[in-house]
Amino acid sequence: MSALTARSRRDLEIHRYPAPLYVLVPVIALVLQALLPRFMGRFALFDLPLVVTIYFALSRRSPVQGMFMGCLVGIFEDALTQHAIGINGIAKTVVGFLAASVGIRIDVENNAIRVMLNFVFSLLCSAIYLFIYHVLLGMNIEWSWVSELLKAVGNSIIALVLFPLLDRFQIRD
Amino acid sequence: MESFFVRYRNLLVLLVLLVAQIIGLAVQVRRTDQGRISLDRSDTSGVRLIRYWASSLVSPPERAVQSSKTGVGGLWQSYIDLRHVRQQNQDLEDTIDRLRLEQAALLEDARQGQRLQAILNFQQKYIYKTLPAQIIGASGSDQSRVFYLDKGKNDGIGRDMAVITAEGIVGKVRDVFPHSAQVLAINDQTSGAGVILETTRIRGILRGNAAGQPQIVGVLADQRIQPGEKVLTAGGDEIFPRGLSVGVVEKVIRDPDRDAFIDVIVKPAAHLDRLDEVLVITSTDSQFSSDQKQDLATSEALKSAEVAALSEQRKASAIMAERLPGLTDPNAPATAANPAKGATPGTGTPATPTPTTPTVPKVLPPQHPDRFTPGNAAQPETPSEAAPSRPVKPTATKAPETKAPGTKAHATGPPQSRTTQSKPQKKEGAADDTGQPSAKPSSTPATKPNTQPRRNP
Repeated sequence: MSALTARSRRDLEIHRYPAPLYVLVPVIALVLQALLPRFMGRFALFDLPLVVTIYFALSRRSPVQGMFMGCLVGIFEDALTQHAIGINGIAKTVVGFLAASVGIRIDVENNAIRVMLNFVFSLLCSAIYLFIYHVLLGMNIEWSWVSELLKAVGNSIIALVLFPLLDRFQIRD
Repeated sequence: MESFFVRYRNLLVLLVLLVAQIIGLAVQVRRTDQGRISLDRSDTSGVRLIRYWASSLVSPPERAVQSSKTGVGGLWQSYIDLRHVRQQNQDLEDTIDRLRLEQAALLEDARQGQRLQAILNFQQKYIYKTLPAQIIGASGSDQSRVFYLDKGKNDGIGRDMAVITAEGIVGKVRDVFPHSAQVLAINDQTSGAGVILETTRIRGILRGNAAGQPQIVGVLADQRIQPGEKVLTAGGDEIFPRGLSVGVVEKVIRDPDRDAFIDVIVKPAAHLDRLDEVLVITSTDSQFSSDQKQDLATSEALKSAEVAALSEQRKASAIMAERLPGLTDPNAPATAANPAKGATPGTGTPATPTPTTPTVPKVLPPQHPDRFTPGNAAQPETPSEAAPSRPVKPTATKAPETKAPGTKAHATGPPQSRTTQSKPQKKEGAADDTGQPSAKPSSTPATKPNTQPRRNP
């Protein structure tokens, strides 16, 4: 329980990464997200920019950085579609903020917590996306919660692999 | 105031970001005439700029990935796959080499089968006992034209046995070992075989020259020897049976040592430089095959049947002579059938006994011969001249008696029998030339009746 409820922020370590990694990893995530569905078709049930946003938000434990990363990644993700720019931006901005806020309070080194957080934030991102599309914009869109659940599972699995991989790039003091 | 922004910095940033993006969304959507909200198809410059940035950010890596994919694919297809292709190519080349070897082996087997078939056919037709053998080696020297057989003393091969092929002679066994034999070829300089030219019947000794060509030496110069004439074994050397093919005359050269002699270069019938299988004549006793024996039996049966037919014909002639005495020539000499007569009445000379010749019925001579009667053309008209013509008849009737029994001359009568040429007649003709006048009238009667047919009374 101590891992889940840290007593103070001093007990938690803020991870630092090389500066190019903050640019390179989201760009790679965007490229792969645009590239892989060509080969995987309907089996492309994942959202790599969201996973990267969650990771950096949890690791940096900075809501501002998390929000900006989520905002930029979301906007670029929207820019690659024919949809209005800002839908994914708003959703990932909220997710980045919440992930960083949660990362301040709990230990995110545990893989199970990482998987669970990814699953929850993926569903939250989908919900925000749907809310914006339906409520704010008032447009119709086909929606399947099963697909969103599978996407959440896929993001969790990818996070299970990607997070330890990105941990290797941490700058140790 | 400062502490408020510091304390709620995160929420304020979140709010600003959300508001900014919501405004941006609001800019991008518009309400249609039907009251529905839809995305503005014509992006604003700001939105287009953002899309351009996003595209510019993602496209290069995608292009790189695509090109790398193409490169990887090309690398895969051009190199990694080529490893398999190279391996496959190597396998195919190995297969081709193996198939070539198998093809060569099969071809060699087929050729060997054909050669063995030819040798077998020859062996079946050949009357002497032969043993097939395989050539397993040679001397390896041009000066020694010997080779080795895979069969030796244990197989029945002995010294000085002739070695032949279906085409012609090859050589003779020079030395024998338990399981192999050394054969001296006919083109070796130390070999020798008695040969004879087929047409000119000139004999000589065949031996090899320095060039490895068999040649006939010791032959007197003869213009009749021409290239192409066949050369056969003479059979006098007690090694090669006579009549075997040796080869053909290739050319005739003068003997450099003796002017009066020539050397006949022979092109051997057997391929002496490409021998594989040969036959060794192990025995010169006649070994007839079943077909040959059947042919001999058939020939003997036909011969005995012919002899029996001849004897039956003789018996029939004798019986006919006994039962038809009127057909017997009274002037004929005494034979076994009528030995009581003993002599010819016309001439009065005693008849020579011919017990082996059967009596043949003769046609009686005409009782009133005229000048058209055959054999009476030269008969004179006056009675004084007719007297010397009487001895002609016995002479004319004697000729058929010397014929062999069973021939047509016996049934045709005296006039026709004179036209038949045979050895006894020639002897008689020769005797006639010595003083008998009966020879001249015998040749004229056939022409005179044709020239004067209307004078016939």
